[in-house]
Amino acid sequence: MQDSYRELFLSESQEYLSNISNRLVKLESNPSDPESLNEIFRCVHTLKGMSATMGYERLTQLSHHMEDLLEELRGQKRKVTPEIMDVLFASVDVLSELVEDIKTNRESEINISAYISELEQIIHSDIPSASKAEAAFPRGKTSPVHPESIEFSEEELKAIRYAKSKGFNIFKINIRLVSDCLMKESRAFLIITNLKKIGEILKAVPPVEELEKGFFDFSFSVVLITREAQAVIRQEMMMISEVEGVYVNPVEVSAPVGPAANTPAHAYIKKIQSLRIPIERLDKIMNLIGELAIARIRLSQIVANIKEESLEEASVLLSSLISALQDEIMQTRLLPVAYILDTFPRMVRDMAKKEEKRIDLEIVGSDIELDRVILDEIGDPLVHLIRNSIDHGIESPQERKAVGKPPAGKLQILVSRQKGQISIEISDDGRGVEFDAVKNIALRKGLITQEEADGLDDKKVLDLISLPGFSTSEKITDISGRGVGLDAVKSKIESIGGRLDFTTNLGKGSTFILSLPFTLAIIKAMLVRVGKEVFAVPLINIRETIKVEKHDIKVLQNLEVIRVREEIIPVLRLDKEFVITISPEDKNRNALGEINSNQEDGRVPIVIVEFGKHSLGLVVSQVIGEQDIVVKPLTSLIKRTRGIAGATILGDGKVALILDIMSLK
Amino acid sequence: MARVMIVDDALFMRKMLSDILKRENIEICGEAENGKEAIEKYQQLKPDLVTMDIVMPKVEEIDGVGAVKEIVKNDPQAKIIMVSAMGQHSLVVEAIQSGAKDFVTKPFQPSRVIEAVKRVLGE
Repeated sequence: MQDSYRELFLSESQEYLSNISNRLVKLESNPSDPESLNEIFRCVHTLKGMSATMGYERLTQLSHHMEDLLEELRGQKRKVTPEIMDVLFASVDVLSELVEDIKTNRESEINISAYISELEQIIHSDIPSASKAEAAFPRGKTSPVHPESIEFSEEELKAIRYAKSKGFNIFKINIRLVSDCLMKESRAFLIITNLKKIGEILKAVPPVEELEKGFFDFSFSVVLITREAQAVIRQEMMMISEVEGVYVNPVEVSAPVGPAANTPAHAYIKKIQSLRIPIERLDKIMNLIGELAIARIRLSQIVANIKEESLEEASVLLSSLISALQDEIMQTRLLPVAYILDTFPRMVRDMAKKEEKRIDLEIVGSDIELDRVILDEIGDPLVHLIRNSIDHGIESPQERKAVGKPPAGKLQILVSRQKGQISIEISDDGRGVEFDAVKNIALRKGLITQEEADGLDDKKVLDLISLPGFSTSEKITDISGRGVGLDAVKSKIESIGGRLDFTTNLGKGSTFILSLPFTLAIIKAMLVRVGKEVFAVPLINIRETIKVEKHDIKVLQNLEVIRVREEIIPVLRLDKEFVITISPEDKNRNALGEINSNQEDGRVPIVIVEFGKHSLGLVVSQVIGEQDIVVKPLTSLIKRTRGIAGATILGDGKVALILDIMSLK
Repeated sequence: MARVMIVDDALFMRKMLSDILKRENIEICGEAENGKEAIEKYQQLKPDLVTMDIVMPKVEEIDGVGAVKEIVKNDPQAKIIMVSAMGQHSLVVEAIQSGAKDFVTKPFQPSRVIEAVKRVLGE
């Protein structure tokens, strides 16, 4: 079989497997959920077909037996029991391993016969009479699968039918905001307010409370009960600025009882709407566009000298096309966070089971997109943080009951966009972290001195628990506390230009907050000038920029420091660090080399950067301003220069070095 | 031609908004520096639309949102667009509850301001 088929088989089967796993988790919590059962059946069935075509014997056999069992469950001949769930979970794991073996060309030694016989045993066992009785009940509602369909509860369906009988219209309104909308929460509030003026909101996806906090990804849906016509609603919505699109569709509900509609065949057949492109190819294109941008700058300089109007117009058009192209390519590198989060429900279920805890996992915002490279990097850190919450945060059901909490702990992963960054919050409603306890453990383990401990305030909990070698768990469990600690997570996140924060509330729970850049290829940076050189400081590292009098820089134990409010911050003179000579006249030049007429006031601009728990003041000649910069990797020769992360090309074609704050000491 | 009144304590912002709107053939029939002045001038000028800065110094206990309340009380058909900086969510919410029709977020693109004005005017 040709390699291209193999690639396709591998990537597709992995998608099916992760879908099966997630649906199994849903089915386990709701054993009578026909939709999950149908979906699992469909995936297993397709997988079987694909495996048979490729000639993968064992995959075919095992999925065939799973299909038989699923068929019985689907036909309600048999009830979903915990034993059946365990067998299904185990079988999916084996399927995944088999696929993994094919992927790595490994000669697999997995014996599937034990799993097959377990499946067969269940299939051939007598159907308990209780479930026979249940089989007599009519099948649950199976509505056509629609990507944007909203699911209604029984109460909501009742309300819809009642409203219809009274002559109301029920519309599903899908609203999309422009993607650069700055105050989504306020915009959503305005839209909701206006909708409430013309009708009753039955339901919103995401829910109204979340919309009004801005927790949505530029589009959302509202189900409205109203006397108004479709066109009126559309018109009302289009009167609000930053609303890019409005789609109003009547909601149809089937009669309460009667035969269930079969899923139409076309719902199963997906049109090809995406292509798989190797990431290296996109990187090459990105680099070419970078070169194009530089060529464009040269061209526009030539054009400026010639002063020919039509040429100038053409040049301006070319510039805007190139930047549009750059944006588009950036978009293609993005993938939804779901790419990694989709495996989490299963993982959390397994971890919880092992720890004998009960956990409800909620994932919000998994459709938000991030650069592929960043996604690859944050998978492990996220798993680690979740392990941490399950192992250290959420209590056992008994413990929870004793303090008056519901037996199942809540674990929430919330992905959201925050001005130029992506934030991923992992919150639990567990026991929280007690600052003093943490401090004492760190002391006992000799990780900090008494003096250091006394100087800490309770905002520095993260600094303590992320110390190498720290673990608050008294016992070492299988899940966490195995040496690779939060310190590894923290440095990983920081190495890709992100940061990790932590808040905790004793008895109420803890939250880890990951702030990440959208992409590694373009970052927001502050441009600063040192002598004649321009440097870019990643914005994510910057705490603030200040100006101080020269004599405010004091010497303390051979180190230059400044005092900012109550804090003593060491300063670093970038000209000394990178050996740049600043002639007296440079001091009064701006970035373009023009002499500054309004003579600087003699005060020194300082950019205060943060990395981990340290702050550092960078002394510069001038702060130029914020800019999006395209990061160009450096050749291996310069790569290891301390303090330099890369380079970028500025508007005028000059090269600016990007500072690597982490390595600046 | 639509007549617009601009309310902002900063001359710079008034100038900028007025330049943006004039380019679209919109008449600037008046300007006000604070909420109190806005209420008075609204009565005299009866503009088709008002842009109102959300954060202005209080004059006789009236700020931007206070002015919205008073203007809408006198003229329930008043069309007011708030001009807000990012992060003023709670003020924007209050302004909408008081009857503001829309808002634009600073720093704004001229096209956004024009879009908001035209949409509120129903053009």
